Amino acid sequence: MNQDIISIAVVQYPGTNCEFETSAAVAAAGMNAVVFRWNADPGELSGFDGYVLPGGFSYQDRVRAGAIAAKKRITETLIRQAEQGKPILGICNGAQILIETGMVPGIVWGEIQMALAKNNTGDRMGYHCDWVFIRSEPQDNPGCFNLNCRSGDIIPIPVAHAEGRFTTQSYKLLNDLTRHSQIGFKYCTVSGEIDPDFPVNPSGSVLNIAGLYNTEGNVMAFMPHPERASWMYQVPMDLPGIYGKHRMESHLNQSCFNTPGPGLTIFSSMKQFILNRRKS
Amino acid sequence: MNDRMVQVNQMRSDTDLAAELRRLGIGMTVSEARKVVSILGRDPTIVELFIFDIEWSEHCSYKSSRKILKKYFSFEASNVVLGTGEDAGIVDFTSVNGIEYAIVIAHESHNHPSQVLPVEGAATGIGGIVRDVDCMGAHVCAVADGLRFGDPDGTFKPRTRWILNGVVDGIWQYGNALGVPNLAGDVYFDSSFDDNCLVNVVCMGIVPRNRIIRSRVPEGAKTRDFDLILVGKPTDASGFGGVTFASEILDEKEDDRTIGAVQVHDPFLKNILITHKANRMVWDLAFEKGIPIGMKDLGGGGLACASSEICSAGGVGAEIHLDRVHTSMENLPPEVIACGETQERFIFAVPPEFTDSVLNIYNSVWELPKEANGACARVIGRTLRDPRYRLFHNGELVCDAPIHEITSGILYDRESKPLHWEGREPADTRMDITDALSMIMASLNGCSRHPVYRHYDTEVQGCALIRPGEADAGIIVPLFHTHGSRAGIALSVDGNPFIGEIDPYWSGAVAVAEAMRNVVASGAIPRALTDCLNYGNPEKSGAFWQFEQGVRGIADAAVKLWQYDTDREPVPIVSGNVSFYNESALGQAIKPSPIVACAGVIRDAGKAMTLHLKEPGNRIVLIGDRRDEMGGSAYYRTCFKQTGTQSVTVDFERERKDMHAVIALISRNLVRSCHDISDGGLLVCLAEMCLSTRNPPGLGAKLIVPGNITISPERYLFTECGGFLLEIPVSQIELAERIAADFDSESVDLGEVISRPEIHIVQHERTLAQISMTDIHRKWIGILKEYIS
Repeated sequence: MNQDIISIAVVQYPGTNCEFETSAAVAAAGMNAVVFRWNADPGELSGFDGYVLPGGFSYQDRVRAGAIAAKKRITETLIRQAEQGKPILGICNGAQILIETGMVPGIVWGEIQMALAKNNTGDRMGYHCDWVFIRSEPQDNPGCFNLNCRSGDIIPIPVAHAEGRFTTQSYKLLNDLTRHSQIGFKYCTVSGEIDPDFPVNPSGSVLNIAGLYNTEGNVMAFMPHPERASWMYQVPMDLPGIYGKHRMESHLNQSCFNTPGPGLTIFSSMKQFILNRRKS
Repeated sequence: MNDRMVQVNQMRSDTDLAAELRRLGIGMTVSEARKVVSILGRDPTIVELFIFDIEWSEHCSYKSSRKILKKYFSFEASNVVLGTGEDAGIVDFTSVNGIEYAIVIAHESHNHPSQVLPVEGAATGIGGIVRDVDCMGAHVCAVADGLRFGDPDGTFKPRTRWILNGVVDGIWQYGNALGVPNLAGDVYFDSSFDDNCLVNVVCMGIVPRNRIIRSRVPEGAKTRDFDLILVGKPTDASGFGGVTFASEILDEKEDDRTIGAVQVHDPFLKNILITHKANRMVWDLAFEKGIPIGMKDLGGGGLACASSEICSAGGVGAEIHLDRVHTSMENLPPEVIACGETQERFIFAVPPEFTDSVLNIYNSVWELPKEANGACARVIGRTLRDPRYRLFHNGELVCDAPIHEITSGILYDRESKPLHWEGREPADTRMDITDALSMIMASLNGCSRHPVYRHYDTEVQGCALIRPGEADAGIIVPLFHTHGSRAGIALSVDGNPFIGEIDPYWSGAVAVAEAMRNVVASGAIPRALTDCLNYGNPEKSGAFWQFEQGVRGIADAAVKLWQYDTDREPVPIVSGNVSFYNESALGQAIKPSPIVACAGVIRDAGKAMTLHLKEPGNRIVLIGDRRDEMGGSAYYRTCFKQTGTQSVTVDFERERKDMHAVIALISRNLVRSCHDISDGGLLVCLAEMCLSTRNPPGLGAKLIVPGNITISPERYLFTECGGFLLEIPVSQIELAERIAADFDSESVDLGEVISRPEIHIVQHERTLAQISMTDIHRKWIGILKEYIS
């Protein structure tokens, strides 16, 4: 394999619907993206440097969102690859799949310890699509997808889901997540405060979790959509905060198509992680 | 042909025959049934009678509307690639890397199904229109919807709220799972929609001009038979009678029949078929190998409609074996297999040597049978050089008719008689401006639509540049990821329902002007229109007159508001739909509701405009005449509970010049924000420029009402004559005025952007009102939340 090229498999299950723009964002971060269909030979997966499970409605959300895909052979193959330390990013439905495999949070191997439950924010339930802010969380050993962020960085990004509420019945687990610094990103206000209420926390997610790692920090279940925030043109002009200002400037100097968006850092971190891994 | 014949000839009386047709669930009239006999030269089979019933329904044949549409909509434009007549219309988009791309667009209604089963009705409405665009070989990249609901606080409060929530659920559940962004739409509430909501859906796609798939059997079938392949969901009994149902007045007593006529959606299966997946693989292979194919979606009228139309359009006949159709139930009667409207199905006509490749793509590569219960691709028959339409069921011939007789439909001359509008002017139309603005912004028809569209995935595919709520039209850049192209497509849907009963002509013309104005305000150039004409019972002369006037108004506007940068080329109407029989069982028709969509092109979408004010100190400039036309206005309706007598009109000459001036101003980077003036008038327009769903109010405006106006300040601020408010930096004002003058348009400097969240209105240096946007914002954003759970 060419050492200069980083190859990412963007896994397409039946019902996946974000594979093409996710591939475009992976490419924009300087990696090579290949859409990998669910019934292709799983053996070929080992040739990739990392994997993205994009958003969508795999297997029609039958049983629970992500539940069927988590049991498929292709997903088992992915688990083996993750055990070797390769990065896996699960976005939205991809995050739901990772949770259903037990890979995340993965404290007890092979056990499903959390759920991505229906959004519940007091009087509001159901699908919610809008821009929110997330904060890169302090970690002893930054996870793969936080590598290019500083702790406390605030990233505007869209969410679009009906089942995105990280939840568990175990208080101990919540302590463990914090202790192992498995929380990569939390929903926050434009100025970085953690407010548990809607719309800052769009799903009612416990501890405002937006992105959660496995214990090794190479697999992240991430509810927001970084591929929808990877170019400046995707950022709304009425967004509060510094990125809204950047967006308006990009309108004045006609640069919105060649300026990276705030979400690209997720993919560029993935690239950095793979490069670091190659060096070591 | 035997015992399943319907004895039309021998029936003794019209009354008997009418009763028999009703018993069979057939909607056609007695004289139509007798016409079937004269075409066939014998009694029809049940299957034949159902097929003619569908093909002759208002929905499929446009039997009441076709003459009028032909009379007024016959104009052409050079950017049309494919006009009305197939599943979707096509116009030029942009050229990138040597490939000419075109925009594919279609517009439909799904009103009756959504009234009885809101979730399924709205979902299958989206599903159907997406198939229409997809089957032209297109990549589907946006949907939009025009929604009209009853009064959620009115007589039918619980039902209306159930329909509202159900329709919103249906749209998001389907569209989001499919992976097509919801880009635009509008929502209105009025008690005339209590018994008959409107769910109009628009779908847009893109296709390389040389890769369009036609809804017709290719020429080659005239010399050898092509295979007919049915792809998709197994046929069931759902949606049987759907078309006939759409062509009748809803009657609650017939709930069982009507509910059965609503289709059941499956976005999961559709997702595997469309958006760069299985269908595309078939098209790519066909183009790569130079194999001619035809393709059509199965929509209203199911297999019979699609197969007869695709073959008839190609000048050939068809032989179909209904027992080869994959079904999900045992022993479905042949008329249900032929006419049921099971969703997520397509039909292909391909030369036999290509058949195995098609079957392989669906059945093996994309594993349809494995992933969706009973779904597959199957050969169900072939084309015939003899132009007959023959259906077999278990070896028995159940339909044998001349194919063009089935598809050519029938025509009616309907009586048209003007209705007199008996509205009144409010006795006293003065009101405190602050109170009036607060009332309108906090009214159901004036508040933010965010609680609706927040349920829709507006961003999937990653191409959205302007989302609902950010500007007057949504904008996508569908070729950016694949080709790096900055070319954008703008889409808007509009149709003010409160003008039609005052003046149905102007309601058509205003709908076109508003839809176009929305596109212009976002920075794009209007290039195509589609329409869905929602009216009452065409057999009533008044309703038919309203329809006729609406069509006339739409046509006049499309012609007189000609395309920017062309030699007076009309904005073409490339797709549309007529929905009649929108009335309650008690005979109350909906307000005449022509709903128009406009697609525009913006060469560099980096210049796209949003409607929010950007910077204090910038000037606020009005382009557009303020006339005393208050009829149907939010001011009259909300503040005085009257509709009024003088409808808003369109001064075509002035409107066109204004639109073209705004296009030029935006394309030359002189404008910082732009919003069109429509519902609520100038002041509501300005208030909306101060309000965002993402930000607390920050900026405001000082508005100077000109001293020389001939109407009262209230009327000036609230009349709904079209126009634009533009935010222009001081340094650019002179140039902007000069450019506007070049277009023979007039710009009026109305004031400036200020750094406080308030609108300060002044005339003759006297304060008329000082309105806090903070209070307005809270109400504006909160009202609709209470109705949508």
